[in-house]
Amino acid sequence: MPPNDPVFQLEGLTVRAGDKVLLQDVSCDIQQGGMLCVIGESGAGKSTLLKAVQGFLPATCRRLVFTPSGTDITGAVPTHPGLPQTRWVMQDPLAALNPRLTLGASIQESLYRQNLTVQERKSAVLAALEDVQLGSEFYSRFPGQVSLGQAQRACLARALIARPKLIFFDEPLSALDALVQKKIARQMEVLRRKTQTAYLVVTHDLGFAAAYADKVLVLRMGQVEAYQPCDEFIAAPASPYAENLIEAARSLGTLSHASEAA
Amino acid sequence: MSEVLLQKGAKLPDSPLSRFKRRTGLVLAVLALGLCIGLWLTPYQPAQADFLNRLAPPEPAHWFGTDHLGRDIGTRLLYGAFWSLGLALVVSLAGLIAGTLVGLLAARSGSFPDALLMRVTDSFFAFPELIAAVAFAGLFGPSTVNLVVALSLVSWMKFARLARSLGLTIGERDFVIQARLNGLTDWLILWRHILPNVLPSLLVLWTSSWSRTILAVSGLSFLGFGVQPPTAEWGAMLLDGKPYMQTAPHIMIFPGLAVLVSVLAINLAGDRLRDVLAQTR
Repeated sequence: MPPNDPVFQLEGLTVRAGDKVLLQDVSCDIQQGGMLCVIGESGAGKSTLLKAVQGFLPATCRRLVFTPSGTDITGAVPTHPGLPQTRWVMQDPLAALNPRLTLGASIQESLYRQNLTVQERKSAVLAALEDVQLGSEFYSRFPGQVSLGQAQRACLARALIARPKLIFFDEPLSALDALVQKKIARQMEVLRRKTQTAYLVVTHDLGFAAAYADKVLVLRMGQVEAYQPCDEFIAAPASPYAENLIEAARSLGTLSHASEAA
Repeated sequence: MSEVLLQKGAKLPDSPLSRFKRRTGLVLAVLALGLCIGLWLTPYQPAQADFLNRLAPPEPAHWFGTDHLGRDIGTRLLYGAFWSLGLALVVSLAGLIAGTLVGLLAARSGSFPDALLMRVTDSFFAFPELIAAVAFAGLFGPSTVNLVVALSLVSWMKFARLARSLGLTIGERDFVIQARLNGLTDWLILWRHILPNVLPSLLVLWTSSWSRTILAVSGLSFLGFGVQPPTAEWGAMLLDGKPYMQTAPHIMIFPGLAVLVSVLAINLAGDRLRDVLAQTR
């Protein structure tokens, strides 16, 4: 597949709850191995977008194409949870891991649909742990025995182990402290380049978006405010609201910092 | 930074839960061993009468005295532990298992079965425990089996309610969503993700259910609706001693103490378990 073809294409996604419109006419696409950042204030519909695409909310779209699984939907998004060949990394890693299962057991569940032997699964998990820079001793640790950053790494391993073509991230860094944020952001980037997995990242962090994203989608109250390539977005934001966002990030210093880090 | 602290080979601190498990296991082993040694050492049989030595107060040959037929009360207390504690254990375990099944099914099976199961649970709640058991004994005759059946029938509802409400909350948690995305079947999610997270709270409830059932078993046997004399159940022993309350109070005091101490011990263990679980969460 030529790298310029989008693996994921969404046109005109609309989500309603009763007569309230949560998301209106959202369109976006992601290239193979590309990264789209979805930005917006709380309640703007960022997480709603993820849930709708995964089939956890009733939603309609003009078209939803996901080439790796041959998905091509028009109209209602199927409510069966989970787009095939995608994974979802959540905001709070400790909530996303069963406290009564070891990290190894939790990561293995990602391989549930594939028929592997116990031994194959175990070695796959160990390889995935290594990919996210966790030692093999984490295989038998419980979520209560590791730090937040390590738990989020385990979640990343759980997402990557199944070799999905697209990973949804729901504010993957906002529960972590700054140093760990930076480390895990770098790790995510390294793994994206290595595996050519596309990322769709919901985030508050403009600095992160500026450093790593190909494209940026800004949502506000369920409407698209801006949808631009990242450099263009930073240089010439498409709307006054987006301009404000960048201004705010500059004055807080988050934007310049992360750009330097990249 | 914690990321560095827990590096390779670091020994993890002992969790309060594992300490609790070890201590409880030790105490239970000591109690069971004591019971066995007592049964092995005692020269008497629980139903062995000695009419020449009736109503004897505590003395070196009979540490807890003898009853109106000259039977050794200490020996009867030891045998009675199996009846009083064991029957209550069977009843409360039956309640735990049945209630958990009903509650989790209600939580995971859609709104109509949920409503149906919970209304059935509510209607069982309408029967007061002891009255229901007395009514059952009145219908089918007083016996040990009927006692167990009657108490089991009215012991599962609390578990069902708790299992349902916990099952509903845990079913919404992120790790269950992840499991669904990974394509795990509903049964597997129930078994791997929901049950292990529901069980600790249910076990705390179960300890209190066990101790209350001990009281119910002994109480009903004392009233004559449960285990029948001459079986050495503690409540039945209390019933045996009632006519001699004035002249030989030890016949009633020791079985009463046995009930008191075991109920207290189980309740305290349950409290401790609750505290430990609150810490580990």
